[in-house]
Amino acid sequence: MINRRTLIGLIVLAWRGLVRRPTRSGLVVAGVMVAVFLFCTVDAMRTGVERATSRASQETALIVYRQNRFCPFTSALPQYYENAISKIPGVVSVTPVKIVVSNCRASLDVVTFRGVPAEDFALSHAASTSPREMSDWLKRGDSALLGKELAERRRLKAGDRFTAAGVDAYVAGIMQSDAPQDQSSAFVHLPFLQEQAKRGSTGGIVTQFDVRIADPSKLDEVALAIDAQFATDQTPTTTRAETAHVARAATDVIALIGFARLLGFAALAAVFALIANAIVLSMRSRQREVSVLQTLGFGGAHLATLVMVESLILGTVGGVLGAGASYAMVALSRTALTMEGVAIAVPPSIGIAVAGIVIAIALSLAAGLVPAVIASRQTIVCGFRS
Amino acid sequence: MNTADAIITCTALEKHYTRGGETVRVLESIDLSLERGAFVALMGPSGSGKTTLLNLFAGIDRPTAGSLTVDGHDIVKLSRAALAQWRASSVGYVFQLYHLVPVLTAYENVELPLYLQPISRRERHLRVSEALESVGIADRHAHYPRQLSGGQEQRVAIARAIVTQPALLLADEPTGDLDRTSAAGIMELLSHLHRDRGQTIVMVTHDPATAHHAQRTVFLEKGRLVDAPEVHR
Ligand SMILES: Nc1ncnc2c1ncn2[C@@H]1O[C@H](COP(=O)(O)OP(=O)(O)OP(=O)(O)O)[C@@H](O)[C@H]1O
Ligand SMILES: [Mg+2]
Repeated sequence: MINRRTLIGLIVLAWRGLVRRPTRSGLVVAGVMVAVFLFCTVDAMRTGVERATSRASQETALIVYRQNRFCPFTSALPQYYENAISKIPGVVSVTPVKIVVSNCRASLDVVTFRGVPAEDFALSHAASTSPREMSDWLKRGDSALLGKELAERRRLKAGDRFTAAGVDAYVAGIMQSDAPQDQSSAFVHLPFLQEQAKRGSTGGIVTQFDVRIADPSKLDEVALAIDAQFATDQTPTTTRAETAHVARAATDVIALIGFARLLGFAALAAVFALIANAIVLSMRSRQREVSVLQTLGFGGAHLATLVMVESLILGTVGGVLGAGASYAMVALSRTALTMEGVAIAVPPSIGIAVAGIVIAIALSLAAGLVPAVIASRQTIVCGFRS
Repeated sequence: MNTADAIITCTALEKHYTRGGETVRVLESIDLSLERGAFVALMGPSGSGKTTLLNLFAGIDRPTAGSLTVDGHDIVKLSRAALAQWRASSVGYVFQLYHLVPVLTAYENVELPLYLQPISRRERHLRVSEALESVGIADRHAHYPRQLSGGQEQRVAIARAIVTQPALLLADEPTGDLDRTSAAGIMELLSHLHRDRGQTIVMVTHDPATAHHAQRTVFLEKGRLVDAPEVHR
């Protein structure tokens, strides 16, 4: 109905109208940007939490923790449990892990030391680092292999030294593992960490056991068997799937994110209201201009298009800026939510950025609809009399 | 007058408004024929219906009854969209208060109606430049309306009205808001367009001196045409 030449004219007209009323347009764009930024950032956190806490169908990882203890400072289990656990049917491997964190509460910058038996670890994680880095790590008792995100966050590379949580370690290499729990961790030799962490516990005490099993469908069964094994012991255990372990530690954060998500949706509603309001106000103050355009021969479809294009530009520019800023922030800050020694990485996601932009565009189109119809139906004479 | 030459023909034209349940007859049984190429002044006291009649001619308002043919089109029968399309090519309208788009420069204001014409960018540029030239405001093409004087704004508005080379140029008190010197300049310009280009012009005015520029004057009183001697220059 509208030919290409006229459409280009309308787009040019809409664009000029917006850039030459910079205060009005700028405020709307800034509002849209903030709302989309909020939405995308919260959604990135939600995605991270979901990824870390929803049980995958192929999950084979269990965490054995001290019963009724929820923080690595207080969960203490004797290392010799390793033997008993490895004999339980279905268990493939058991790794005693000593965890020392720089901060036990929910935080965005936590270093988690995981003390592990060096030889076993070298075998099971051979693919995660270069052979040179791995042999370096094996050779030095005080050396650490760092998770990728931890290394980037602290700007550490092989050969550096660093101190966190009272532990001073040498960086042997960086792990390429994508597993969320590896990202913020520094893997060190178990005896070294046991020695360094003298908070009441002595050698032979670990925080937890990381257990691998063969058959994902037996996850709960094996967990029950492990807990039954030590039920009457002095230090009974609670065994959960790794994702469930993270979910439990992250209960507060999950509740917070659920709430933040509501805020995100409220922000989107605000986007809609903001654009709709801006367009309605702008069209109201421009009724005469609309009448002039009509007099010049612009029809209802032209005017509706003009209004929609204006709305679309505001929504798109605001959406791209907001989603881009959110993506950049998440990508650059490499945020990991960490609490009680478990880490939830917040991944930058192109998908979320695109979704944020698409939503902003859709909302801007919806917001422009009513003003567009009103403008297209306006009678010329009434516009001049206003 | 020979109706074959007529650019506007109306018979028994009526325009009523209902205001608070009461019908106001703004225009009553208007029979009129205006010839192509003429410069016609429309005069009458305030509230007599001059603007209303001009708006009917321009196809920006619809008559309540009667027939109205402009430039060979029975515009009463045209749909809303068809009427808009017809306006785009056939009518130029000059307002008392100029009504330039404030965020567009003089050049862009004049360019505006050409977006609806099937012409190339080059052609558009030529036509806008020519129109600005012919109203004597080419040197102000990059100015915004607020940077122009009233007389200059009205010149830009006239350029915008004639840039599509319409069959009919309508002007509603084009000098009504201007000082005497600027007003004289605008009348000079309209006379020039009429004389040199054969532009048909229908102009509403209060001022007999302004009406003198026209070949013919039509008088309205309380919505009816009234007899008055034709005024020739
Ligand atoms: N949309 C409308 N609704 C109601 N009444 C209207 C409307 N448009 C015009 N009128 C009335 O019609 C009458 C004629 O108005 P019009 O504007 O045509 O007069 P005019 O001759 O142009 O006057 P002026 O010289 O003051 O511009 C006036 O009484 C006006 O109030
Ligand atoms: Mg009037």
